[in-house]
Amino acid sequence: MKKLKAYFCRLLAVLALLTLAGCGKSDTGASGAGTSTAVPASGSLTLGVAFETLQTEYWVAGYEAIKAEAAARGFKVVEAVADNDANRQFEQVRSFITRRVDGIILVPKDASTCLPMIKAANAASIPIVLFNRPAAKSEAKSVAVVADNFALTRTTVDYLIGQAKATGGKRKAMVLIGDLGDINAVGRRDGFDAAVKAAGDSLEVVARVPTEWNQEKAQAGVVNALQANPDISFIFTSSDFLLPGIVSALKGAGKYHRVGEAGHVVLGGFDGDATAWQMLKEGYLDATGVQDVYFEAKQSVQAIVDLRAGKPVAEVILDPGFVIHQGNAKEKAAQMWGANVKRK
Amino acid sequence: MNHTRQRHLLPLLNHATLILFALVLAGFGLLSPKFLTAANLSHLLVQASSTAVIGVGVTFVLLTAGVDLSIGSIMFVAAAVAGKLALGGAPLAVTLPAILGVGMVFGALNALLVTRLGILAFIATLGSLYVGRGFGLWLTQTRAMNLPDSFLTLGTVRLVGVPLPLVISGGVVAVAHIVLTRTPFGRQIYAVGNHLAAARKAGLNTRRLLATVYIFSGLCAAIGGILSLAQLGAVSPTFGTNREFTAIAAAVLGGTSLFGGRGGVFPGTVLGAVLIQSVENGLVILNADPYLYPLVTAGIIFLAVLIDSTRSRLMAHWGQRKIFV
Repeated sequence: MKKLKAYFCRLLAVLALLTLAGCGKSDTGASGAGTSTAVPASGSLTLGVAFETLQTEYWVAGYEAIKAEAAARGFKVVEAVADNDANRQFEQVRSFITRRVDGIILVPKDASTCLPMIKAANAASIPIVLFNRPAAKSEAKSVAVVADNFALTRTTVDYLIGQAKATGGKRKAMVLIGDLGDINAVGRRDGFDAAVKAAGDSLEVVARVPTEWNQEKAQAGVVNALQANPDISFIFTSSDFLLPGIVSALKGAGKYHRVGEAGHVVLGGFDGDATAWQMLKEGYLDATGVQDVYFEAKQSVQAIVDLRAGKPVAEVILDPGFVIHQGNAKEKAAQMWGANVKRK
Repeated sequence: MNHTRQRHLLPLLNHATLILFALVLAGFGLLSPKFLTAANLSHLLVQASSTAVIGVGVTFVLLTAGVDLSIGSIMFVAAAVAGKLALGGAPLAVTLPAILGVGMVFGALNALLVTRLGILAFIATLGSLYVGRGFGLWLTQTRAMNLPDSFLTLGTVRLVGVPLPLVISGGVVAVAHIVLTRTPFGRQIYAVGNHLAAARKAGLNTRRLLATVYIFSGLCAAIGGILSLAQLGAVSPTFGTNREFTAIAAAVLGGTSLFGGRGGVFPGTVLGAVLIQSVENGLVILNADPYLYPLVTAGIIFLAVLIDSTRSRLMAHWGQRKIFV
């Protein structure tokens, strides 16, 4: 019995330590505010910024952009990262509410788990903005600043199809699809399908590779698809972070060539990350749809300010993004967040 | 009557995974002539090599009735260290041992938590999962690292016509199989998994044995990380995410019990790893609807586990009747 009690105490201690470790990592409120932002001017706002994860370059870029935008306006920022845990994020949002922050910027895990968080913020009359990931339809009131995944993908794939047509012939295509539980991934898939449909017979999609946003799955899927269809000459990935796996598979199949070289596989992506920028510079990538992270950060902070001032704000603010390609790479580089990541 | 039924059913149930594997191969082979080609099967085996190696590591842990949830994080930290070293100009001869060292250090941390502090393996390795992921993200600053081509060469080079990843995974499997089936240490692992207290009373140094098993799992995670890196050529912040579940699925598909004391790496875990990869490979070749992937994969895992549990139940039932007769 004594042993059992001692064991139970140890287990509780470990759980408490884990919880503390989680809190320390995820809710860096006081210290984060003190170190990462300017001292707020009198009458300035305090923003609670809660990210679901920082496990991709895009989220880190978004996080930094929001903090920079807030700092530029003299706002204070309280930060929290939930490590993919919706329950933890709910606790973090509650903590923001208890602190009476002036506004909340949230990147939720998905469209549904954020609804109770939005309702809690609504009940406390604290404006809440969803960054890059919208909420499901409900009576809960929030503003979402999101990339127009469908339209931007469609424009990007239209451009790629134009490039393919310019080099002539009917092409076989492969598309890498993201996590089907992610509304952004679904929007990009639909944008790709719409562009392919409009292209008619010039493109035949022979491989749809589900990646679950996992690089290893993506790499294996591309190898398998190229094995089954060696004549694939058009690849679109729903996120640039899957590009290394595609490159590895293309190299293995002897099909990795620069734009304009014989045997070049038309290659395009979405996001605008540092790898995509590098590949654009080296001439291997035809185009990518860039999410304008700076636009999204600015709009998110502005929406909080406007909501507090009682001004009308659209429920969804769309980031149109832009397509960066071999023809406009130099001109658009400054707006591409991936190009800035590399410069650091 | 009973004996006849046992005679017919037992061989079927004992080789359920093998039969399922044959059915999957035959099914995809019938649906697409491209599936059963030598080139595709070679790709399939190379892709399964990483899962097979991490599966071997976790099989050792599962055999002792433990679990290792930190595999994916160990892979990530090892890959992050490899990336830092490689991009800093270190040669492969330095990078590869460093990766293995990282794996063993994390394995030793798990061993310390489980054997010295008496923390449940589930909790201890869950803690390591978070620590590893956080440490790796700090190390990489959440930036992707594209590795030099020398890493990709590791994935494509052949030894006597056999791809290097297959040689490495084959070596790990062979050593693990011999240790489990031909050495006293292997028998002691089964003994600990069957009954820890009894094994301790029998004079086994269970603490040292458990520590070795967790360090070995960490080492296998690092080797698995190298094999994945060799195919991918890049380290992303999500590298290795959820790979512990694939490894455990491969072990369980191969007949290893989650309660310890039963199972093995060959053909067991290896078959499980290849089966999982075959399903993924076959679905891509068929250009199946992406929504089908999780359904088919989960269905096959569920079926294999169901057959295994039916087998265990029937064995127990038949054994019981013998006692009463």
